[in-house]
This record gives sequence, structure tokens and C-alpha cells, in this order.
Amino acid sequence: MTPLALLLTLSCVLFTLGLFAVLTRRNAILILVGIELMLNAANINFIAFWRFGQAGAEAPDMIGPMFVLFSIAIAAAEAAVGLAIILMVFRHTRSTDLNRLDSLHG
Amino acid sequence: MIALSILIPLIVLAALGAIWKARPVHSALFLALSLSLVAVLYLILGADFLGLIQFSVYVGAVAVLIVFSLLITRPSDETKEIARRPQSMLAGLLCSVPVLAVLVYAVSFSTPTEEVAAADTAKIELAELGKTLFTTHAPAVMAVAVMLTAVMIGAALFARDINERES
Repeated sequence: MTPLALLLTLSCVLFTLGLFAVLTRRNAILILVGIELMLNAANINFIAFWRFGQAGAEAPDMIGPMFVLFSIAIAAAEAAVGLAIILMVFRHTRSTDLNRLDSLHG
Repeated sequence: MIALSILIPLIVLAALGAIWKARPVHSALFLALSLSLVAVLYLILGADFLGLIQFSVYVGAVAVLIVFSLLITRPSDETKEIARRPQSMLAGLLCSVPVLAVLVYAVSFSTPTEEVAAADTAKIELAELGKTLFTTHAPAVMAVAVMLTAVMIGAALFARDINERES
């Protein structure tokens, strides 16, 4: 198995683990944990293709690391807003269980 | 290659701990472990700067933020809260296993089987990175700056206690 294939497989596994966490967890903060894992999987893909995907290129470009840099900034912002929303929900319902947030249910 | 084959199972194990541990704080700590191992992976792959950024932003900020939020929002009936429902486990497996199968199938059939020579020149030069960031990608940097300002104001607004302000 080439290093590229190894890293891409790691990325697939991490993405699936994150998806599983998002689908099965009830605590909103732990769903955020799953989303962070999925974002990390995408970042690993960028780094893998930057490192192993341009063999033989005269001057390797910096697009991959640049994407990861912006992705990390956006992930941090997403975590901050997500946790602020969860804190607000907790203040209203005294719980972070997403199954209890059914007040719009007809 | 040897370092990769040692590190990758560790990352997967830490991620498994993050999604499997019943106690939320344990889960968040395993997430921090997994993220720091990914930072080590970046260091091994030659993306030193990104490894350091990953470590300081993800492990230093996001994971700590998650742990503190978990401590603040502790439910009164934790044992009931952390119990998993079999239906949701089944639904999660039904959705995520096919996704994994399709992704691994796609990866195994689309990457070249012969050993791809690692581009030795693929190394982050910090000066070059800074130059590219503030010339070619300057609009994106400005957009991120505006977004971070909006996020800061938004998070402060959301997290503010309205009742406390009125009293």
C-alpha cells in the first residue's frame, strides 16, 4: 500500500467514525466532536495529496496547506458558535440532549 | 513509512475512543489525543507549520473549549443522558458502514499501485507561505478576518445571559 493510499484510507475511516458519532450521539457537544473528526479527515486528504500527489512537479504548489490553514480557522469559528448555541439551548432546557429539543414539533 | 504505519492505528484508536466512550469528558479527551496525533502526522509529512497550527488551535483551543462546555452543561441525570438507544446505533451503523465501504472501494481503485515517489521538494517554506498568503490569497484572508470578527460578536451575543443583564 502506498503512503497516499494509506493516508486516504485513514481519512475515510476518520470520516466514517465522525459520521457514526454524529448519527448516534444524543449530547449536542459530542455531536460537535464527531464534526471535528470529519473536518480533520478532510484536512488529512489535503495534506496527503499535497505531499504525495504531485511527484515530479517542478515547483510544488501550496494550495493544499493553504486550504488546511483556512479550514482550521473555519473549524475553530464553527466550534465557537456551535458551543455558544449549545450553551444557550442548555440555559433554556437545562439539557444538551437533542432529543428534547422538540418544541417545534406539531 | 514505518512511522506512518505506527501512527495511523493510534489515530484510529483515539478516534474510536472519542466516539465510543460513554462519559462525555473522556470522549473529549480522546478527541484531544486524536487531534494531537494528527498534528504529529503533519509534522512527519513535512508540514511543520500546519502541525503546530493544528496543535495550538485544535488541541489548545477547540478541545479545551469542548471540555469546558461539557463541564458547564452537566446534565442532572447523567446516567440516563449517556445511555445509547439501540435504534440509533442501528441507524448509525446502517448509514456509516456503506459510506466507509464506498470510500475505501473508491480509494483502493483510484490510487496508483506502484510506489509513488514522495516529492522531496514538498516542504513548507514559511516565508513563501506568508508571501502567498498575503498576495495571492489576500481576499480569502480578509474574508476569514471578517468571519472571525462576526463569529466573536455572535458567540458573545449567544452566550450572554439575558436574564442577568435585565436584573
